[in-house]
Amino acid sequence: MNFAEEWSAFWRLFYTNGGYKRVFSEGLKNTLIIAILGLVIGIVIGTLIAAVKVMPKYKTLPRVLNAVCNIYVSFFRGTPIVVQLLLAYYVLFPLMGISIGSLNTCILIFGLNSGAYVSEIMRAGIQSVDSGQMEAGRALGLGFYPTMLKIVVPQAVKNILPTLGNEFIALIKDTSVVSFVAAVDLYKVFTEMGNVNYEYLAPYLMMALIYIVLIMMITLLFKLLEKRMKRGERA
Amino acid sequence: MSNKENQIKTVPEIKDDEIIVIKGLCKSFHIGKKTLNVLKNIDYVIHKNEKIAIIGPSGSGKSTFLRCLNCMEDPTSGSIYFDGEDIADIHVDINKHRENIGMVFQQFNLFNNKTVLQNIMLAPVYLKTKKAGGIFAKAAVKKQIKKEAEETAMNLLRRIGLEEKANVYPSTLSGGQKQRIAIVRALAMNPKVMLFDEPTSALDPEMVGEVLDLIKELAAEGMTMVIVTHEMGFAREIADRVLFMDGGVISEDAPPQELFNNPKNPRTKEFLSKVL
Repeated sequence: MNFAEEWSAFWRLFYTNGGYKRVFSEGLKNTLIIAILGLVIGIVIGTLIAAVKVMPKYKTLPRVLNAVCNIYVSFFRGTPIVVQLLLAYYVLFPLMGISIGSLNTCILIFGLNSGAYVSEIMRAGIQSVDSGQMEAGRALGLGFYPTMLKIVVPQAVKNILPTLGNEFIALIKDTSVVSFVAAVDLYKVFTEMGNVNYEYLAPYLMMALIYIVLIMMITLLFKLLEKRMKRGERA
Repeated sequence: MSNKENQIKTVPEIKDDEIIVIKGLCKSFHIGKKTLNVLKNIDYVIHKNEKIAIIGPSGSGKSTFLRCLNCMEDPTSGSIYFDGEDIADIHVDINKHRENIGMVFQQFNLFNNKTVLQNIMLAPVYLKTKKAGGIFAKAAVKKQIKKEAEETAMNLLRRIGLEEKANVYPSTLSGGQKQRIAIVRALAMNPKVMLFDEPTSALDPEMVGEVLDLIKELAAEGMTMVIVTHEMGFAREIADRVLFMDGGVISEDAPPQELFNNPKNPRTKEFLSKVL
């Protein structure tokens, strides 16, 4: 079969037979759900961990929290996400008697995983803000946390926006491994399409195209966001 | 808790006109295995309405001394009595006292993500709202607090002639404008003392004047202030007392005429001969 025939066979599957519906309603949808919710959970966890890391460490509690966070970060950064997914889905959750379905497991693990990365991004962002900003807030009588929340973190977020965009892109691409735990994403849908004729070239090319378009859109989105945040300070 | 009570009880008698009493203040930094003693057992009393200028060579501990006064640097040992409490004690709520001690930095440190007006209003609004009950405060009360803070802020801006800059971000201002705004930001809290940490050292020469004029104005109004400065003429003009610091101690403490005209300490003489 030459490429033209292959492509027309694929096109029949993809368009004429309505395969695209499944691509969008299941594959793309799940990919986006996992990546977006993963990033949201990741930002929440990451910000919390970063806050613990930059906390003043006079007392015992921050030190204990810091140790816990260190273990968390070194586990999630030290193991591949596939290993984490397999461990959670086939070992930990069955052992603990939790059954939340493969999609939810993926969302959770992607969130926990990106939390570890975002925490480091966030910490770097917080440390990139001039220490004078914190000092000025404290000198006015504001506490550590109000100053952090109102002054330092907003500036940190602006600084790390490009890196956060990067993290989001990495997350979207990482979702292509979720079929390890029986979740249906773009990769899974297109592989099944290829399985019909045992011809994978055209489906995988289409899949690559969708990923590229998706990521270009996200890049654009983050660029716009960055521009908007910069505009505020020049006005 | 009992420790805290003990500490408060041991506050020595402080006369009405003494605003900050420093006793045995030491500060050391640890750099690797070395210990650097920056302040060595300093005793000093700052009276109400006094203007104190601190001069001295770099590394003499003058900035550290100033920063210890509102615990931006935690003293290693010793006591600093302010408002009836030893603020060097780690159990004392330092934020409450910092509201009454304004501080102006060399690098201005205006909040970059806030407009000029927001810079001035932020701390008063936040702290007053917190006292009124934080997020549970009534909307009307919050509104009132905000309105009052805005009025105060606009009055302060009008005073320094920058009211048209109220809604711009600090990045568009000149150094002199930033520093004047930083000063009124501290004033918006109605502090009892103002600490100035080399307020003109990061400014272009032509902008030094406008900042010094504002500080002089404050001095004339009777604000108590402590100023670390390299502007000898300015120190001579406004200070009631000039402290010469060297090697972590106050090596000379005299009214400006005396200190500048006949310094007693040889180290002071040497320093003055270099800078004057």
